[in-house]
Amino acid sequence: MRPRHWLYTIPLRLRSLLRSRRVDQELNEELQFHLERKIEEGIAGGLTPDEARYAALRAMDGLEQRKEEMRTMRQVRWLTDFVADVHYAIRSLRRAPGLTAFVVITIALGIGMTTSPFCMLDALIFRPYPVPRPGNVVTLVSTSRDNAFGGFSYREYLDIRDHTKSYDGVVASTILASVGFSADPGAAPRVRAGMLVSGNYFRVLGVEPQAGRGFRDEEDTVPGRDAVMVLGPGFWKHEFGGDPSVVGRVVRLNGTDFTVIGVAPESFPGMQIFVRPDFYMPLAMAHMFATDPQKNFLEDRDDRELGVKARLKPGTSRQKAQDELAALARDFEREYPGLNRDRGAAVRTQFEMRTRDNDANWKFGVIFTGLSLAVLLVACTNVAGLLLARARTRTREIAVRLALGAGRFRLIRMLLTESLVLACLGGLGGIAIGYASISFLSTFRIPTELPITFPFRVDNRILAASLALSALSALFCGLAPALQSTRADLVRGLKAADADVPGRKRLWGRNALVVAQVSMSLMLLAAAFLMFRGFHQSVGEGTGFAKDHLLMTRFDPRLVQYDADRTRQFYRLLAERVRATPGVRSAGFTENPPLGLDVFGVVTFVPDGFQMPRDRDSFTSAMDTVDEGFFETMEIPILRGRGFLASDTAEVPRVAVVNERFAKRYWPDTDAVGKRFRLDSATGAPVEIVGVARTVKYRQPTERPTEFVYLPLSQHPLARMVLMLRTSGDPLQLVQPVKEIVRSLDPNLPMLETRTYEDLYRYHTVEGPRVAVELVGTLGAVGLLLAIAGLYGVIAYNVSRRTREIGIRMALGARPPDILRMVLGKGLALVGIGTAIGLAMGFALEQVMNSVLFNAGGVDVLVYLIVVPSMGLVTVLAAYVPARRASRIEPTQALRCE
Amino acid sequence: MSKPSDLVQGTLDLLLLKMLALEPMNGWAISQRLKAISSEVLQVSDGSLYPALHKLEQEGWITAEWKPSENNRRAKFYSLTRPGRRHLEKEAANWSRLSAAISHVVRLEEA
Repeated sequence: MRPRHWLYTIPLRLRSLLRSRRVDQELNEELQFHLERKIEEGIAGGLTPDEARYAALRAMDGLEQRKEEMRTMRQVRWLTDFVADVHYAIRSLRRAPGLTAFVVITIALGIGMTTSPFCMLDALIFRPYPVPRPGNVVTLVSTSRDNAFGGFSYREYLDIRDHTKSYDGVVASTILASVGFSADPGAAPRVRAGMLVSGNYFRVLGVEPQAGRGFRDEEDTVPGRDAVMVLGPGFWKHEFGGDPSVVGRVVRLNGTDFTVIGVAPESFPGMQIFVRPDFYMPLAMAHMFATDPQKNFLEDRDDRELGVKARLKPGTSRQKAQDELAALARDFEREYPGLNRDRGAAVRTQFEMRTRDNDANWKFGVIFTGLSLAVLLVACTNVAGLLLARARTRTREIAVRLALGAGRFRLIRMLLTESLVLACLGGLGGIAIGYASISFLSTFRIPTELPITFPFRVDNRILAASLALSALSALFCGLAPALQSTRADLVRGLKAADADVPGRKRLWGRNALVVAQVSMSLMLLAAAFLMFRGFHQSVGEGTGFAKDHLLMTRFDPRLVQYDADRTRQFYRLLAERVRATPGVRSAGFTENPPLGLDVFGVVTFVPDGFQMPRDRDSFTSAMDTVDEGFFETMEIPILRGRGFLASDTAEVPRVAVVNERFAKRYWPDTDAVGKRFRLDSATGAPVEIVGVARTVKYRQPTERPTEFVYLPLSQHPLARMVLMLRTSGDPLQLVQPVKEIVRSLDPNLPMLETRTYEDLYRYHTVEGPRVAVELVGTLGAVGLLLAIAGLYGVIAYNVSRRTREIGIRMALGARPPDILRMVLGKGLALVGIGTAIGLAMGFALEQVMNSVLFNAGGVDVLVYLIVVPSMGLVTVLAAYVPARRASRIEPTQALRCE
Repeated sequence: MSKPSDLVQGTLDLLLLKMLALEPMNGWAISQRLKAISSEVLQVSDGSLYPALHKLEQEGWITAEWKPSENNRRAKFYSLTRPGRRHLEKEAANWSRLSAAISHVVRLEEA
């Protein structure tokens, strides 16, 4: 029965809500009608008009109360009340503009500070894949002891695709490859970033191209047959102006003709967080983009470069898929014992992939978010304190309302509405601050030609989170004052406004607030300083090689279709001529300069004569391929033995240079020079160590000392190399002469990423950490400001409450210094406690930061020696000012004051 | 002559619903009609009539429409809704049972 009669009640309720005045009017009309008929009846019964009217009115008395009853019946009270409360809140806030402005700014700062870390966290962890139904896209990884998130080889991928039943489709993709791209056959090639993907990539992921079509499965079957490509949306806009006729056009990739068959949609910039592929090619075309001629990507089962993703079949649990994949991995182990020993496989969710251990970015995001939430907490406690103070001044008003019959809950609602209004205003301000800080962060440039972007933007989820946070803050700030002030003792409230029992208990809340603020500000400031010092220290340790007067430029002869011989000849001639150029002290080649942006390759080896642990049969180490001039050019000293020589050619036995740490790990008691290791496995090619180089920084300035292996270019020829030039003068002066040399060798070959090493280093060591420190420092500064304001507020408020008491004391003979001491003493006690707690929290935070960000341990005393006294000084000042004012109070004035 | 205020709220609802079941009327007409039919026994005070009508409307048992009345003045005419009619039947049945039971007890012979 119930639902049927809602047909009548709901429109009625809506009407009473939206047209309440109309409804009231109608009620009056109805009663008026009744009255008039009654009067008519009276007249008809023989009364005079006046008598009739009087009688009628008397009969209908009490109607006003009835009307009120009826209004209550309409039961949309809560909404009309809410609207009325908001109006009232706005009016009363307008009467206290200073307080309102302060509170709004405080909350805005607090919430604004959280927007950037939320954006960061969203981009790094939470944002779902840009495909339909991203929830059932999982990543399949191969696991080994060193790496729980490894890739698969092409053959393994095919086996997984064909022999598993848990998925609606399994796709594979490589990391971005540098590809020489020319829109016309005649144009000089430029380097763009392409990605090789399986034929079913777009279909399985559910990506609908905005022009043309995606790959067909059969286009990825025969190696080298189908030279088709799909453009990325950003590249299509930049390069082709968004022209749809590009579909069907033939362009050149690494010298080979490719046909554009489609364009990916705007909604799909790529599956990675930071990089956006310019175009996609089928995996079957991999040989066109091979980096190492000795490897056969499509055949080698241990060339594991593919990232594999899959769509779980609806209804299939992850555990089932995991078990199936683990069983398949065991099959691999059985069938290919040499290549798949101790290799498992796992199914990982997006969240697991984003939060994996070997990536520090997201950890920083989490720490950053935590810190900014701490600032928000400080801001909220400040506001809560202020609102508490304000509530006291309204005791009389509240007592009157209570006396008139308002329910306690109703009053609490009213007060909470007020804080909700404040919090909303603050939230809006905070969002504005958040936008500003994100646009500031977006101006951060990375010195590379690859399409790397910072995907930090404020989207709807962040906005919703900020607003929710505002509402929560409102609740937090407003609840305590609302509860406390409505607990009123009516009689006392209606009497003198500030008759206040000096009970200890009453003040506990506010004091706790101040202590909390002081300690949190201390912690934040300490954090900022610690980060600054930490980075400074790591940078100060130096890189181990000389960074000055170093010019670098990259070459990739595959862009002009050189074969191996021609590449070798090119580099030989280039090296000769460059070394002969005046102004060049030394020159060398490397695959990857240290502290560069690329990832170092990895070499698997078995050291001779080393007792292998029972569960391993090989180790891995980062490696670089360099020529004979590298060590001299980078000024990396060879401590024992020698560097590479021109005589280390492909004909003689293999050699390598290792760093100190490597040598010390595997041959701790003897000289590593002359020792051997085998490549890939215990039966691989033997390599003799001919030199030990100093351990330098390879990946990051803040890394722990790592093992490293250098292999000679002459024995491991590569196409893509970076030329490093040590110059006697300004490195940029040498750009033109080098260009001439390159042009004389081949006018079509481009020089890529030409810059000084200082430039690169500055990004890595200065820009990145600098932004980080600035952010945390801002947090700390804001926190401190808030703490100071809070402290000032508390002490000033205490003084105002005790004005009469102070007046009495002074009348009884207390002198200004005594009053000063009395008031200040309380404030200092609070600061002291807050400092102690803040110190403890700071220590804890330091441990966390050290383990996550730096390789240092222990406690950095200097930071605290700076921060604690500075904070102490500042807070004492904040307490001093109102205290001094208190000591200057005129006794007569104080006693007269209410 | 029982005083109107002796009427329990639920009983008043029942009477009002029954009146409106006969035909749609406005508040004044309902009170007049009720007086007439019950030979002056049941007189609803104005202070109870309109809140009761209002409540019935809020519950969805009756619905209202503004129509011109006999003297061409606008008045609010109430009528029964379908759920209201069912409620009326239920309440009428309850009342019969209740009143029969009370009558039975009252008529018992004293010993």
